[in-house]
Amino acid sequence: MSKVLMKGNEAIGEAAIRAGCKNYFAYPITPQSEVAEYLAKRMPEVDGVFLQGESEVAVGYMIFGAAAAGERVMTTSSSPGVSLMSEAISYISAAQCPAVFVNIMRGGPGLGGILPSQGDYFQATKGGGHGDYHLLVLAPDGVQEAVEMTMKAFTLAEKYRGPVMILGDGLIGQMMEPVEFPDDLKTEPSNKDDWATSGMDTRKSNKRNLVRSLFLDPKELNANNLALKAKYEQMKKEEVLYEGYNTDTDYKVLIVSYGTMSRVCKTSIDMMKQEGIEVGLLRPKSLFPFPEEAIFKAATKESCKSVISIEMSMGQMVEDVERCIKGQKKVDFYGECGGEIPSPEKIIDVIKGLL
Amino acid sequence: MDIDIKGIVVICGNYGSGKTETAVNLAAARKKDGIDVKIADLDLVNPYFRTREARVYLEDMGIEVVLPDKKYMHADLPILAPAVAGIIQQPSELTILDAGGDDAGVTVLAALEDHLSKKEVHMLQVINPFRPFTENVQGCIKIKEEIESSSKIKITGLVSNANLIDETIPEHIYKGYNLLKDISCETGLKIEFITAVSHLIPQLEMDRFTCPILEINRKLNPPWKRV
Repeated sequence: MSKVLMKGNEAIGEAAIRAGCKNYFAYPITPQSEVAEYLAKRMPEVDGVFLQGESEVAVGYMIFGAAAAGERVMTTSSSPGVSLMSEAISYISAAQCPAVFVNIMRGGPGLGGILPSQGDYFQATKGGGHGDYHLLVLAPDGVQEAVEMTMKAFTLAEKYRGPVMILGDGLIGQMMEPVEFPDDLKTEPSNKDDWATSGMDTRKSNKRNLVRSLFLDPKELNANNLALKAKYEQMKKEEVLYEGYNTDTDYKVLIVSYGTMSRVCKTSIDMMKQEGIEVGLLRPKSLFPFPEEAIFKAATKESCKSVISIEMSMGQMVEDVERCIKGQKKVDFYGECGGEIPSPEKIIDVIKGLL
Repeated sequence: MDIDIKGIVVICGNYGSGKTETAVNLAAARKKDGIDVKIADLDLVNPYFRTREARVYLEDMGIEVVLPDKKYMHADLPILAPAVAGIIQQPSELTILDAGGDDAGVTVLAALEDHLSKKEVHMLQVINPFRPFTENVQGCIKIKEEIESSSKIKITGLVSNANLIDETIPEHIYKGYNLLKDISCETGLKIEFITAVSHLIPQLEMDRFTCPILEINRKLNPPWKRV
C-alpha cells in the first residue's frame, strides 16, 4: 500500500481498525480528540462502534465490559482523562482482560495545559490505579511507530491478557507524517473461550467463565497477584524494545530519552558530531518492561563518562535510569515541562556542560 | 504564470490539508509582489501548528497578523478576535482568512456572514490527495459540500497542496494537479494554483500545468527540524 499523510491521532485510529478493533469508546480531550473524530467516521464503515461515554470514568468501565466479553477494544485519552480511567485500569488488570489504552500526554498536574508533555511516565509505568499491577507501556517517537505499536498493542494485550498502554506526548498525536500501514491483523483473539464472558452459545465448552477482581479468600488473592507477577516477569524477558543511536562510536555522554524528545536529541547528536563531539542515545521503546540491561551496557561502555536522562517532565524516567546503572556512572537530568519542547541548541548547551 | 489573487481570500479544506502552510506562504509571496497583505487565524479547532506559530516571520515582513489575545495563545477555546470583523470591513489589497479544517472549522465563517456577505470573497478549497477522505473526486466534493453548508459560503476555487512532507516527489504534485482537473471538470471550479516545496520546483515539468505554482517554504515544523 502506498503512503498517506496522517496526523498521529488519525493514524492510531486507523491502526486500531486494521488490527480488527471494532469497539472504541472515548471522551474528547485535547490533544487527542482527532482519534474520536476519525473513528466516528471510520468505525461505521467496518461495522464497528464508536460510543462517546459521559465521562472517562464511564469509558473505563465500557472498556472493561467489552474486554471481559473477549472483544478487541481501545480507548484514547490525554492525561487528566487517564487519571479518571485509572480505577478501571486497575480492575481490568486484576480481572486479566485484554484492552488497549492510548495516552496522548498533555502538561499537568491538574488541568495543566494542552501542549506536549511526558509528565505521565510514573502514572503509566508505576501504577496510576491501586494495587500490584503494571501496564505494558510502549512509547512511539513518530506517526509510523505509533501505527506499528498500536497494532502490536492488541496482540500483546491478548498474549498477556491485560491492558497495554501507548504513551505518546501531544506532538505524537498532532504532528503529520507520511505513514504506511502494515497488513491487517488476521488473527482472532486466541483462547478466549477459556475466560471471556462471551455467552455460552459462542463457546465450545460448557465451562462457566467468571471475570472478576474481587478475591476475598487471601490465598486466592495472593494466587491472582502471583499470576500477574509471572506475566510481568515474562514481559521483562520477551517484550523489551529499544533503539541505539550513534552508540557504535566512542561517545563520552549517553542520552536516555524517549518519544518526540528523543528526536530533538538525535538532531543535537548530529549537530555535535559535525563539531567532533560524539554523543550516544539510548531510546526506550518499551517503558515497561524497561530496557534495563541495554542501558546498563551502554552506560558502562569505557568511553562513556556520564549519562543524562532528557525528558519533557521534571524528572521521572531518570529514576529508572539510575536504577539500571546501579551507581556505575553519574546520572544527570534535564527536562522542561511547560509544554515547549527543548530546542536542539538547548540540548547541545546542556550536553556541553557535562563534558 | 503568476498568482494574482487579490481581495478577501478564505483558505478552507479538509482537516490537515495544509491550509495554514498554504495561507502563510501565499501571504509571504504576495507581500513580496509588493501588495499589502493581512492575515487572520480563524482556526478554532486545531490545537497545534497554527498560523500563530508563524507570527514573527509574517510580522517581520510587514504583514498584519490578526490572532486571538496572546494570553490565549495556547488555549483550546473557540476565540474569535473582534479584529477579524475589522479587517473584513476594511480589507487590504489581499486579506487572507485561514479557516480551520472540515465543516467544523468553517462554522466560524457563518458568524461573520453579515460582514462577508457585502464583499466579494474568494473561497479556496485546499486539497492534498495523500490525506484521508480526499483521495478521490467524490471525497473532495463531499468535503466541499459540507464546508459550503456549514460556512454558508460557496467555494470559488481549488488549490492542490499535494505532499508527503519530506518524502514528496514530482509525481505526487502531478497526481494532485490531475485530481484537481477532474474535480474542476465535475464542478466547473477554477484551479486557482498548486503548491510545491521550493527545492522541488526545478524538477517539475511546467508544461503539465495551466495554473500558477505557489512556492512553499515550510514554516510549521516540529522542533527537531527547526534548525
